[in-house]
Amino acid sequence: MTDFLPTLLTLASEPVAAQVGPVGFAALKEVSLSAPLAAWLIPGLPMLGAVLAVLMAIGGVKSKLPAWTTVLCLAGSFAVTLWLYLQMRDAGAAYTTVKLFDWISFDYLPGKAFVANFSLYIDQLTCLWMLFVTGLAACIALYASEYMSHDVGPGYCRFFFAFCLFVFSMACLVMGDNLLLLYLGWEGVGLCSYLLIGYFYAKPSAVAAAKKAFIINRIGDLGLALGIMLTFVHFGTIQFAELLPKVEQYVALATSGNLAAVPASVQWIAVLFTLAAFGKSAQLPLYVWLPDAMEGPTPVSALIHAATMVTAGVYLVARTMPLFQCGAVTVPPDAWVLPGLVVPALDIVVWGGALTALLAATIGMAQFDIKRIMAYSTVSQLGFMFVGVGLASSYAGAFHVFTHAFFKATLFLSCGAVMHGFGGQLDLRKLSGVMWMKGWLVVGLAMLVGCLNLAGFPFTAGFFSKDVILAEAFSNPHQRVVAWILLVTAGLTAYYTFRVFFRVFLGPKSFEPGDEAHGHNDAHGHDDRAHDGAGHGHGAKGEHGAKGEHGAKGEHGVGEKGAHGAHDQAFQPHAPGWAINLVLAVLAIGSLVAAYAYPTKWVKGLVEKSSAAAVDLTGSAAHAPATLLGMDPHEIMYYVSAGVGAVGILVAFFLHYLGRKTAATSRADAIKLGALQRGAQHKWYVDEFYDATVRVPLKVLAHVLHFLDKVLVDGLVNLAGLLPRGLGMSLRPSQGGELHGYALAMACGIAVLALVALFSLV
Amino acid sequence: MLDKISSLWPEICLFSVTCVVMLVGLSSSLRVRKLCSPLAALGLLTAGFLVVTTEASGTSLLPNMPSYGKLLTCGVGLLLLLLLSGLPDRRYEAMVATGRTRFSALRTVRAEYYAFFLFSLTGLMLCAGATNLIWLFLALELTSLPTYVMVALSSQRERSLEAGVKYFFLGAMGAAVFLFGFALIYGGTGTVDIDQIAYAIRGQAQDGGINTITLAGMLLALLGLCFKIAAVPMHFYTPDVYQGAASPVTAMLAFVPKAAGFFAITLLLAALGWGDLTGHGALPSPIGEVLTVIAVLTMTIGNVLAVLQTSVKRVLAYSSIAHSGYMLVALVAGPGGSGNDSITNGVAAVMLYLLAYGVANVAAFSVLSTLERAAPDGTTDESDDFADIRGLRKRAPGLAWVMVLAALGLMGFPPLLGFFAKLPLFASGLAGGHVLLVVILALNSAIAAFYYLRLVSVTLLESPDGAGRAESFAMTPFANRTLAGYIAATVIVGAPLVPLIDEAYDATRVAQWGGVYNAAGAAPSPRPRPTPGVGEQTVEEPEAEVVPSVR
Repeated sequence: MTDFLPTLLTLASEPVAAQVGPVGFAALKEVSLSAPLAAWLIPGLPMLGAVLAVLMAIGGVKSKLPAWTTVLCLAGSFAVTLWLYLQMRDAGAAYTTVKLFDWISFDYLPGKAFVANFSLYIDQLTCLWMLFVTGLAACIALYASEYMSHDVGPGYCRFFFAFCLFVFSMACLVMGDNLLLLYLGWEGVGLCSYLLIGYFYAKPSAVAAAKKAFIINRIGDLGLALGIMLTFVHFGTIQFAELLPKVEQYVALATSGNLAAVPASVQWIAVLFTLAAFGKSAQLPLYVWLPDAMEGPTPVSALIHAATMVTAGVYLVARTMPLFQCGAVTVPPDAWVLPGLVVPALDIVVWGGALTALLAATIGMAQFDIKRIMAYSTVSQLGFMFVGVGLASSYAGAFHVFTHAFFKATLFLSCGAVMHGFGGQLDLRKLSGVMWMKGWLVVGLAMLVGCLNLAGFPFTAGFFSKDVILAEAFSNPHQRVVAWILLVTAGLTAYYTFRVFFRVFLGPKSFEPGDEAHGHNDAHGHDDRAHDGAGHGHGAKGEHGAKGEHGAKGEHGVGEKGAHGAHDQAFQPHAPGWAINLVLAVLAIGSLVAAYAYPTKWVKGLVEKSSAAAVDLTGSAAHAPATLLGMDPHEIMYYVSAGVGAVGILVAFFLHYLGRKTAATSRADAIKLGALQRGAQHKWYVDEFYDATVRVPLKVLAHVLHFLDKVLVDGLVNLAGLLPRGLGMSLRPSQGGELHGYALAMACGIAVLALVALFSLV
Repeated sequence: MLDKISSLWPEICLFSVTCVVMLVGLSSSLRVRKLCSPLAALGLLTAGFLVVTTEASGTSLLPNMPSYGKLLTCGVGLLLLLLLSGLPDRRYEAMVATGRTRFSALRTVRAEYYAFFLFSLTGLMLCAGATNLIWLFLALELTSLPTYVMVALSSQRERSLEAGVKYFFLGAMGAAVFLFGFALIYGGTGTVDIDQIAYAIRGQAQDGGINTITLAGMLLALLGLCFKIAAVPMHFYTPDVYQGAASPVTAMLAFVPKAAGFFAITLLLAALGWGDLTGHGALPSPIGEVLTVIAVLTMTIGNVLAVLQTSVKRVLAYSSIAHSGYMLVALVAGPGGSGNDSITNGVAAVMLYLLAYGVANVAAFSVLSTLERAAPDGTTDESDDFADIRGLRKRAPGLAWVMVLAALGLMGFPPLLGFFAKLPLFASGLAGGHVLLVVILALNSAIAAFYYLRLVSVTLLESPDGAGRAESFAMTPFANRTLAGYIAATVIVGAPLVPLIDEAYDATRVAQWGGVYNAAGAAPSPRPRPTPGVGEQTVEEPEAEVVPSVR
């Protein structure tokens, strides 16, 4: 360790912007793979898994078969990704496109084509993303095989169908060689997210959460759609390999400080993409769907709502980094307010990320539902990532995405194991000392590893990736405020993370099972029919009250406990089985090993050998290593952030571990912060604010329009419908059925038409 | 004359088979009598094969129409043949089988039935290949006369007889009108040969206007032919006759005479010419105007009356009227320029539409003819009312889907054959500059959607009513009828899936205007003969690929 540290320090203090020669897309050379079409197996195998799951649902499979096919398909997909990565690693800074078939390809004007084919764009950034997507997906599918076991039957097939479809969509999103395929994947993951959040569709809160996620994502998707259209309008192409070189001229303008000279239609693309990224990745002001998305089964929360899908926004920014470098909101010089103001898109990204990070962390501190705390920490960490990419350092953002994927999946899956074992109990005031219970050591250790990472404990992966972002922020003279916000957030993060750990996993052994305790005993009591019919296990129990409400109940326990007393006596927490333990162990080790990517600069190499590397055509060292307190910012950040993290952990230790006798109480109860505490507990009333400002006015408008539609439009339509009917009625007598009548009518008709002919001759 | 014979081998083949069928159908052995329909099928297949292999020559105006038309006849004819199975002699043979009566060759109608059916198809083939007016008239009558008898014999009910009589008298009146028209055309041009008529009309047009007698003849001929295609003002018989005949025969009435009528109208209009010598432009006044009026009235009257019906057969009858109106739109627009093989060629559009319409009709009627119930008097009732097929999906999902596809196909619902056939009607109308006509066509399609979707909703979405009316209908023992429906439904869905649709479209390229009239308008040879180039075109026509998909 003594020589490890100095090595780290020297590696880190290399000047960031000492690059010479082309960077970004211009630095890439086109290569071809040895078996290019095999790359299509990466999305193809999950699709196969989805099809198989559907077939099994039709065939009425009532075993764990769908899980095993899913795990196999995803593992195969991971293996192919690995093969792809090795090929691309040998190729160095290179990219390749692999076309499967022509999807949309036509000339809308002579010589001008609209091309969006089923074609993959692969460079090292793609490989990085797909490696952790497919790898984690395979692990989490294995975990889910056990976690979802009480739903074996149609629900099980449905779960794994959506799971596979998600990985397919994510692969399209990440690997698509054009923005339309990316959009397809973007919508696909949104759909799968919706399907999986609403998995327990008999439970009103789950349905509401699914709708909320879907609708709020729609706002972001609108941004993406408009951005893609604008891209096509301005650049005439949406294929990355053609688009990125075309953006370079504008990047040159932008990096030489002449951002206002970039055409507005180019500037707006990045702003619209920012909206899209903020929707998908749950940033201010669109973050509200993610905490509610925890209504879905925990493996889904781990994979989709923590590790992979929510990083799609970060991916979008990294992939289209040149567009972001020349994106801005420019107020026209003749505007009546703020004339001539230029707000670079990257600044929006940075500030959005920083504020979200702080806000979510403060909310996370005051929650009691451990899954919800993890959800807010995801929102907060996503904020960190956006600050990373927003500082034009795709590396900082992508590295944090990478490490976060591992440790957050570990954290969620650990929480899920607890939830699974304790009958759906998620309230940290009702669980204590779980780690010391029989069979729970692996879960506890995995949780510890995850918490250390999230808190930024020295030499963990999370520590390194967070430091890169902090150092980037501190070394940018314009973003000092952001840097301080992030530093404070890092401290808060350490506190709330270990608050969970000390309360739930350490301390005196004590627990109170959740509402599903009874349901669980049923599920394991061979009473399968009760669940197969409805295709869900938890759903019926949802009526007892949504889990989320427990946090809001505040003072409670004794009275209610009496009601459940009978069950509690019988309830025994069941420790996780081999699949859950294995996956937790693998992921925990993975999050530890991920730290190794820092000193070896593995991720850094990947990102900088891809199109995501920020282009700085001016050649000036914009990122010249500023000094902070006379030291290199990276170097000093090690000490500062380690210190801040340690303070957070110590505070949590003091308040939530030291001298705690029961699960429900701790020293923290003594601290009364009044409105501040209440605000944080109620999520700063953001949902209520949105209700009042957006939902209610829209609802009123909808009622008004509905009324108008009923009266005016329907009236017109009905009138139009009556017309042919009335005409028919009046013609009906002509079909009297009499032979001579028909003959007469025919003769008259001929005569009339002969007259028509005569008149038209005249 | 011999050169004509060489192009008539399909008809000759079919005619010979017809004669054999007529004899076989009189045999006292049921097994031999049952050979009628396989023989007829064999005849149709052979005729189709001969169409593909022999060189057809119709008028040089429309050199490709005969082979297309004959293949269409064979293809749809085979489907109709499947539908006809079990229809003739059903009660009589049941009585013979139970020993209640002895077999008598005089009382059986099986021979007549299949023979008349084949005669009618022979007539249709001859229509497609007609080169002069007398031939055309005889062919049209050969098409129609057997159908009168078939309608009357199709069921044991009085209403069939009534329908047959009505159909016969009104048909005779229609025939009289177009025969009068033909006579006037002869008077106006001095020839009955269609090529020569075309030449004469070009000459009259260049010499200061088409002869009034010719125009009057054309007008009367077209009006008379309106009877065949069931267009206003000759449409009145349609619902009564369609409802009176048994469903398999109705399916035939909806296709065979209509196709014959459209072949004849196309020939006459080609002789008249669309405007300038290249075929580009409008029909001469007043034929263009009259045809426009007929098209508008036909679509509108057909559709608005169909909206009111409760009988599926009457709905299909009125919709058949409306379809004639749609097709007339494309004929008003014309082929649009020399060698126009894109979707703006109206004549080609009509040819493709006949295929789509014929197939969808077979599908719809196959469902109706498959469902029947025992009537109090010992006979059987066919399903006819909407209530009879309500909730069909619950009882016979396959049939229900055939009905749905038929309705959507007739409606022109996008991925189906009907859509790809209807699109060119719109396109040719627009290209010809008949915007108002196309708007009316679109409005009518919207009205038609009402009753087609009603069919879809009744069969697919609704439940059988509690009264048990729908439940009382059972499947007939004739699997061939269902088979016809399935084949037709497959074509409706499958034809557009195969990238065939483009080639099918090329195949329907009938009007080879460039081959007849050179664009410069230089004096065409008085007796234009099919040029070698045109002949080659015929041989390499991929038409064979269209109709096999029908089979």
